[in-house]
Amino acid sequence: MSLLVIAEHDNAALKAVTLNTVAAAQKIGGEIHVLVAGSGCAAVAAAAAKIAGVSKVKLADAAHYADQTAENLAALVQANAAGYSHILAAATGGGKNLLPRVAALLDVAQISEITAVESPDTFVRPTYAGNAMATVKSADAVKVITVRSTGFDPVAAEGGSAAVEAVAAAADLGLAKMTGREITKSARPELGAAKVIVSGGRGMGSGENYHKLLEPLADKLNAALGASRAAVDAGFVPNDYQVGQTGKIVAPQLYFAIGISGAIQHLAGMKDSKVIVAINKDEDAPIFQVADYGLVADLFQAVPELIAELG
Amino acid sequence: MKILVPVKRVVDYNVKVRVKADGTGVDLANVKMSMNPFDEIAIEEAVRLREAGIAKEVIAVSCGVAACQETLRTAMAIGADRSILVESDVDLQPLAVAKLIKAVAAKEQPQIVIFGKQAIDDDANQTGQMFAALMGWPQATFASKVVVSGDTASVTREIDGGAETLEFKLPMVITTDLRLNEPRYATLPNIMKAKKKQLDVLKPADLGVDVTPRLTTLKVSEPPKRGAGIKVADVKDLVAKLKNEAKVI
Amino acid sequence: MSAYTPPLKDMQFVLRELAGIDKVAQLPGYEDASPDLVDSILEEAGKFAGGVLAPLNWSGDQEGASWKDKAVTMPAGFKAAYTQFAEAGWNGLSCDAAYGGQGLPKLVSAAVQEMWKASNMAFSLCPLLTLGAIEALHLSGSDQQKSTYLPNMIAGKWTGTMNLTEPQAGSDLAAIRSRAVPQGDGTYKIFGQKIFITYGDHDMAENIVHLVLARTPNAPEGVKGISLFVVPKFLVNADGSLGARNDAYCVSIEHKLGIHASPTCVMAFGDNGGAIGTMVGQENAGLKYMFIMMNAARFAVGLEGVALSERAYQHALAYAKERIQGRDIAGSAASVAIVHHPDIRRMLMQMKSLNEAMRALAYTVAAAHDAAARHPDEAERKRNQAYVDLMIPVVKGWLTETSNELTYLGVQIHGGMGFVEETGAAQHQRDARITTIYEGTTGIQANDLIGRKIAREGGATIKAVIGLMRQTEAELAQQPGAEFAVIKTALGKGITAVSEAADYIVANYGNDIRAVSVGAVPFLKLLGIVAGGWQMARAALVAQAKIAANDKDPFYPAKIATTRFYADHVLSTAAGLAHAVVHGGAGGMALDVAMF
Repeated sequence: MSLLVIAEHDNAALKAVTLNTVAAAQKIGGEIHVLVAGSGCAAVAAAAAKIAGVSKVKLADAAHYADQTAENLAALVQANAAGYSHILAAATGGGKNLLPRVAALLDVAQISEITAVESPDTFVRPTYAGNAMATVKSADAVKVITVRSTGFDPVAAEGGSAAVEAVAAAADLGLAKMTGREITKSARPELGAAKVIVSGGRGMGSGENYHKLLEPLADKLNAALGASRAAVDAGFVPNDYQVGQTGKIVAPQLYFAIGISGAIQHLAGMKDSKVIVAINKDEDAPIFQVADYGLVADLFQAVPELIAELG
Repeated sequence: MKILVPVKRVVDYNVKVRVKADGTGVDLANVKMSMNPFDEIAIEEAVRLREAGIAKEVIAVSCGVAACQETLRTAMAIGADRSILVESDVDLQPLAVAKLIKAVAAKEQPQIVIFGKQAIDDDANQTGQMFAALMGWPQATFASKVVVSGDTASVTREIDGGAETLEFKLPMVITTDLRLNEPRYATLPNIMKAKKKQLDVLKPADLGVDVTPRLTTLKVSEPPKRGAGIKVADVKDLVAKLKNEAKVI
Repeated sequence: MSAYTPPLKDMQFVLRELAGIDKVAQLPGYEDASPDLVDSILEEAGKFAGGVLAPLNWSGDQEGASWKDKAVTMPAGFKAAYTQFAEAGWNGLSCDAAYGGQGLPKLVSAAVQEMWKASNMAFSLCPLLTLGAIEALHLSGSDQQKSTYLPNMIAGKWTGTMNLTEPQAGSDLAAIRSRAVPQGDGTYKIFGQKIFITYGDHDMAENIVHLVLARTPNAPEGVKGISLFVVPKFLVNADGSLGARNDAYCVSIEHKLGIHASPTCVMAFGDNGGAIGTMVGQENAGLKYMFIMMNAARFAVGLEGVALSERAYQHALAYAKERIQGRDIAGSAASVAIVHHPDIRRMLMQMKSLNEAMRALAYTVAAAHDAAARHPDEAERKRNQAYVDLMIPVVKGWLTETSNELTYLGVQIHGGMGFVEETGAAQHQRDARITTIYEGTTGIQANDLIGRKIAREGGATIKAVIGLMRQTEAELAQQPGAEFAVIKTALGKGITAVSEAADYIVANYGNDIRAVSVGAVPFLKLLGIVAGGWQMARAALVAQAKIAANDKDPFYPAKIATTRFYADHVLSTAAGLAHAVVHGGAGGMALDVAMF
């Protein structure tokens, strides 16, 4: 049994999520091949060849793969699909764009964002925004799968020595033409849309402390800055920082509550966050009741330490 | 130009779904159903293209049970001109829906088909791409901006860490991301007019499409419960747990 | 701030099963109102209420309307929301299609209005007052007045006000002193000051159409000398465009306990030479026109009662499920959400059961109003009109009094946090406070009920209603199970209480009006509680039939359980109220004024 993993890359470097996809392929079991399709992407193929557990790298190097458009890539994957029981890609914007198209060309179902492998034809995937985990079994001859990277620990990037084999490019379909690409500069994200939020409360003591301590932490985490009502009332930060019942309701992946006691009105604004970290010197502070990780400490020591530890 | 907009009836996004105790699925009995939010964005975009004089007609199409008619009425209240229900009690999976829409497209000959990027029930994010593959059309997925001029469209797509803009030749598929537009609220006169708009009902067999499911759901379970919070010893411990246990940094 | 989700399921249940939307849709002119269209309307109205109006409720309360240089500025977001509201056509839902409305029945309008009021009571008063003015002009205006004003008012481009009250003329409008001086060209100049004018000025619409009560020269004293005038903020040119600014200004706004975003204006007419207006209908008939409209206005205020109670209930319920405090009273390892505590449960059930009863009562009265207006059979029209006339003071008085009790419970469930404004529970209680006062206090409603609606006709209508209630009681007796036995007994005792109290009123109103009037408000509450219980019993019977037909929807067993709670906790108070009516007159008037 052979599996084909579609490499994620930008023509210059292999993206780390490919390692998680390979890990999922290993869980399924079989000989793992990686397809690198791009333009001037020999270095990517070389990197893919070193991934632990990969036995062959197929390289399709052509100008019309430079922009990774799904139309051309899907045709290439279809042309190279013979002999593979599984075709996998990371559940990234690129993988989610490409694989359903591949599946339809092969007249098979696609299995989205698996988080676990039960057997070569049975997988676990989240539905209803992660509120229900479905175990699904495929009846198709070829399983076309996108892999959620958080479900699989990455394999080692080094240690393999796969052969790189050039494969012929498929025809350029000419269906889509790139006219511009813009990668967002890492300006501080908006409070409502941020994946990470660092919030400070009355425990910060002053606006000066708030900015001096929390801004570097937020920069490290590419986080938005928030505050409790008490910090806003005390004039540390403006109104639009407020998280809570009468401020913004947020649900980031990671929420830091620093020097926030956890009044019910604040909790109402952030309790749906995926992971909550609380740093407070009062070990009875109600914020610890909702925190996944509580650190009882003086924030003036803990926050600089945290910044240093994050590197 | 005609624009076809497939819409799906799903559990309302405000509803907190419950997994059934026997693990056969989520409990949908007596749960409020609504139009998939990404599909509302799709209808809105299509209606705007018609209002801008680019499209002549917007046709909403839904595949599923008879109650999907309500969803189509909602689409027509927002502004779709007419609609088509492909009625089936089978669990319709993305590939089957893509094939049904292909059969509808063969009759209607739309130049643009706008899908929501994913449905908030199965979170598959597949149907638009599959339909594009079956038609041999280009696919502008996860669109945040659409500009149509003549027989080409320039679409800005959301990609990881930014956006890219591509030019496509019609006919084509667009799938909508959240930032594409903010759907309007239906007006009362349009709600009343929607009731009188044309709604045709077809069966998969009429379209010659085999809709047999390819995936079987063996089990549905609750996601792992959030463990009771713990106190960490120090900053080192905290960072290690965030990295290795919670995997959020 | 709190979210508002319209209780669509209960609304649809009441519309279909208790108020008979299918029958209303058979009335001439209401053919459009099919149940599935009504479902769509409620669905979309609910989205608008929850998505646009509800988010402005708290911010509007905190910021309030403000006044400067004779002009009112609305809180942030209100103007945009109003524009959206008008452009979506919601304002014209129940208005005449000939002037651009949708001509939908009162029953549909009632459910939709409940949503506006619940999502943002202060906002909802603007379209409410506009509707009142539209109705007055539609009923009594000349063709020219109608074509000048109605299309823009129905479209929501212009709003309306009702200018009745003056500093010395509140509940007693006979004391009105504003003057209207004929100019010989068909117009009048209006002079006078009006107070408590809701949305007398604001910045949400391009024109405001004031309807003003005033006296013409040599008009008879008292209520028989009052005429109605239409006085626009900006005069309207012959081509329909807006002309000169009229001499009608807001000279201050009140600082109130609640509905802070709704500007309550002091209006000065004619301080700079006279406000130009035209007479609506016949001279000296102004108060008669007001009375025709009064049923609609009082009904609408009654709906505010159930709307605010529903909002307070949703707010309290969300908190009760979230707030962890204390162990389960019967023992638990860990602390539990307060919703597990029996007293919190009782308060939530009190709110839930009364909300459902109030909604059922109000919507069934709305359906009767539709039948009274449109039924092809004159006897049916008359019968329904008599029921509406009887129940309007009950809907107004009982729903608003009850909403004060229920919004109070909403705060109570929050504990200390309820007393903190930021929590938002207090706003519902403050907003509810006005509802028992304006459009006629509860005392005025109750006097209307026992006097004009019961004593004057010898209790004919209420006896007929009691007969219908007894039929429901008999149906309850046919049902199996302990719950129905409890409901049947409680309703039966409640009906008896109403019957005895009504008999007492009919027998004694003529010879001891003071003693009977002491019991007016207790009787109004008694009739409300029992009429609400009657509707809950009908709901339980429908639920039982659904269950018997193997419908597994948990809504139905919940409806029966809620009715049972209502029987034990609410209907059980009927006998006490009846006692107060029948025996309480003497004690009420025993002390001489000097003895207070």
